[in-house]
Order: sequence, then structure tokens, then C-alpha cells
Amino acid sequence: MLIEILQQTINGLAIGGVYVLIALGLTTVFGILGIAHFAHGSISMFGGYLTYFLATSQGLPVLAAIPVALLAGFLLGVLVEILAYRPVRNANHINAFIVALGLTMMVEGINLQLFGHEQVVIPTGLTRVFRLGGITVPELRLYVIVAAIVLVVAMMIFVERTKTGQAIRAVAENRDAAILMGVNVRTIPLIVFGMSTALGVAAGIMVGALFAIAPGIGEGLVVKGFAVLILGGLGSFPGAILGGTVLGITESIAAGFISSAYKDVIAFVVMILVLLIRPQGLLGRAP
Amino acid sequence: MLSVRDLKVSYGGIEVVHGVSLDVAAGECVALIGANGAGKSSTLKAICGLVPAAGGSIAFEGNDITRASGHAIVRAGITMCPEGRQVFPQMSVIQNLRMGAYTRNDSEQEADLSRMMDMFPILRERQSQAAGKLSGGEQEMLAIARALMARPRICLFDEPSLGLAPKIVASVFETLARIKAMGVTILLVEQNSMMALNLADRAYLFEAGRIVMEGAAGALKNHPDVMRAYLGH
Repeated sequence: MLIEILQQTINGLAIGGVYVLIALGLTTVFGILGIAHFAHGSISMFGGYLTYFLATSQGLPVLAAIPVALLAGFLLGVLVEILAYRPVRNANHINAFIVALGLTMMVEGINLQLFGHEQVVIPTGLTRVFRLGGITVPELRLYVIVAAIVLVVAMMIFVERTKTGQAIRAVAENRDAAILMGVNVRTIPLIVFGMSTALGVAAGIMVGALFAIAPGIGEGLVVKGFAVLILGGLGSFPGAILGGTVLGITESIAAGFISSAYKDVIAFVVMILVLLIRPQGLLGRAP
Repeated sequence: MLSVRDLKVSYGGIEVVHGVSLDVAAGECVALIGANGAGKSSTLKAICGLVPAAGGSIAFEGNDITRASGHAIVRAGITMCPEGRQVFPQMSVIQNLRMGAYTRNDSEQEADLSRMMDMFPILRERQSQAAGKLSGGEQEMLAIARALMARPRICLFDEPSLGLAPKIVASVFETLARIKAMGVTILLVEQNSMMALNLADRAYLFEAGRIVMEGAAGALKNHPDVMRAYLGH
């Protein structure tokens, strides 16, 4: 029983890492621009597809394809900010909402046109399995967990310890005051979108390596990402990390002990229960 | 140093500042006084680029900054300590102060940081607390220190006494007097006309979006109209 719980927790950490990376991107974009960036999941999947394409059709080693895809993700994020969201920056909020929905459909369509409707798995060649006591840990899953931790820590250090990171926080907390400090509030959203999208692409690659990428997966993932934001507390960085981990582990344990068909249901039931007790989310501030 | 000519500001097509002209010389302390809604704060906001000027011109040290963006104006040397303090509530006191030095690249930032905390010992005491947890008076001190961290050539203060208890207001004005004594050029907007006129060298009296009187602070303080309308005599 205990072994089984530990086993499912390890499994849950890997998928939880994916949720955390998606949610961190969403929460940063939401914090800075107040936009619910629905297209985030589909763009993340584009990054996963791109990695698959580079690794298979172009014959690049996966380890070389990943940085290319991350860089492409960063640039794509910058483009999305300039072309899609900047024009509606000062318009009614519903405009950005509609742009986000339209962008989601567009990116899903582009993914379908470019990469087809077959599901693809990124061939990592990482097939070893570690055994520890009674727990089996596939090496790929371990690397995914480690990579997620490294990315999250790097992001935290960037935001807390660098001037640009502090400027991002300042814009999120008080835009006008940030201008008065000399922050260029036109370039900050570019950095935020670039970074968030790169993190999303990392998550897309993880999904493609652990499971598979197929049409519709990205939309499901973005819904989970927003669920994590609400679960952890809107706009809270630590909340997104805790929320993503909790959601991943809950799903995994539910799949292991009850049925994988019900894992989403159980995960959302847990989320609703948490929100009934703490409406502001796990680490959100009470209103 | 700062020269505003025939400045107009409007919000949503409604003009609230109808062409004001004012000057601040280096080392001077100038106050803008007048009733609530007279256009004093809007004038300040237009100077630092938070709202666009609808007409007229603003020049700083001979350069036209009328259409410059907010962050470029800060880099030119104009810093504002905004109305309502506007600290970054979830960032720590020390992070707030460091944000004040955002435009600087020199090596004296840490020295300035400890100088600010010498000037405001409460900030040293609370340095790792979230700024939002400070009292109103403490936040005002933080906002002032944060503005000074930029080493501004001119520092604009927008209603620094607003919403503070009388005792705190007095200590805010003591602080402003110290900053003035340090040689910082100051442009101050204040509804507490008596305090402002005691501190300033010169003042402009705003009424309904226009400047109706200007002169040495002492002269304005003794002008019968000002005394009747703004100083409660």
C-alpha cells in the first residue's frame, strides 16, 4: 500500500512538473497583462511537435532539438505579444479574451496542417528503469522531474534576483509606479511572453516524451493550467508550484487506486473541495 | 531646469488643465497649491509622462520631453514620488528601494541604500517585510526613499501628506525640508497649503485648471485672497 502510494507520487511528480511549468507561464502573463492566455497550451504543443519534427525528419539528436524548440518558443511568444495582444492592450478586456480564443483555434489549426492528426511521441531513447526498494522509476520520468525543478528554480532566481525579474514583479504589482521607476512597460511584456512560452514549450516536450502529442491535448493542458492557478491562488508563484504538484499527484493516485478513466473527475473534485474551504486558493491572499 | 509652457491636459476629451506655464530652477523648491481638482496632480502626471499632454510643451534642461515616454523621462533625471505612495505591496522594503535605483548602473547603489536606511531607521528595521504591511506613514517614507534612490535631478512629490495623521504629516514635511537642505530640486503638489508654503521658495496657485497667482512663497502666504481661501484665516 505504502509502496504503491510512493510509486504513484513519483508518477504524479512528473505530470505535476508539466502542470507547474504551464501554470507558471499562465500566471506570469496574467499577472502582467491581466490576460487569460488560452492559446498557451496549443503553442506549447507546437513546441513539442517541433521537437519531434527536428528529431525525426531532420535527424537532429533530441538533446540538440530541445534548445532549438525552446528558442523558437521564446521568439513565438514575443511575436504573439506584438501581433495578437499588443493591439488590444488598451481596449476592453473582452477583446483580449476573444483574441485568446481565436489564437487558440488558429494555432490548433496550424499544428494540424503542419504536423497532421496522428499522435506523435518524441523518441528520446531513454528506456532504462531504476529500481529503489519496491519502487520503479523510469529514467525518462526522473529526468523530467529534475528538468522541471531546474526550470522552476531558474525562473524563481530570475524573478527574485535580477533587475529585469524585479521589474516584471513591479509591473505586475503596480504598473504606473513601475513606469515612475523607469521601467519600460513596452518591453517587459515581450520578455514575459517569451519566457512563458519557452517554459510552455518545455512542458510540451515533456508531454511528447512521456505520453504523446495529438490534436486537442494542448487545450486540455491549458484548462489544467488554469485549474492549477485557481487551486494555488491567482497570481501566486509558490501557489502555482504547489497547485501543479498537488494536481499531478492527486491525478496519479486517483488513476492508480480508482481508475484512470476517473482521474480528471477526481482531480477536479479535489480542486472544488479545496476551493470550498479556501476560496482564495491554497496560497492565495484572503480578499 | 524644468520649463512648462501652456500645458493642456485632458481626460477622455474633457480638458482639466487649460494651459499652465511654470518654471523650476536648479536647487529650488516650488509648490503647486490649490483646491482638490484644480489640475495640480494632472500637471505633475503630464510632466512625468503618465498622462499625455494635450497641448503645450515641457522642457527639461533644454530638451523637449513633451512626447517622451515615462521611462525615458525617469532616465533624464525626473523622478516622482506618487500620490497614495504606490509602493509595490508584496515586494520587501529593500526590494522596493532597489526598484528605485532601476535606471542606475553605478557602483554606489548599495551605499545609497544604507544612506536611505540611516535617514529612515524604520526602513532598516523592516527591510525584509512586505511593503504592503507597513503603516501609511511608513509607506510614505518608503516612497520618498525609493524616489531618492534614483538620484533624481528633480524630485516631484504628489500630495505626500494625503491621508496621513497630523503628526505623521509634520514628520513628512520635516523629511522634505531635509531633502531640500541636501540640495535636491523639488516640485511639490500639496493641498496642505500652509505646510507647502512654509517649505517652498516659490509657489503657484491653481484654480480650476489655471494658474491664478504666482510668486515667492512668503508673499503668497500673506496675500489676503490666499489666506482667506486656502489658509483658513
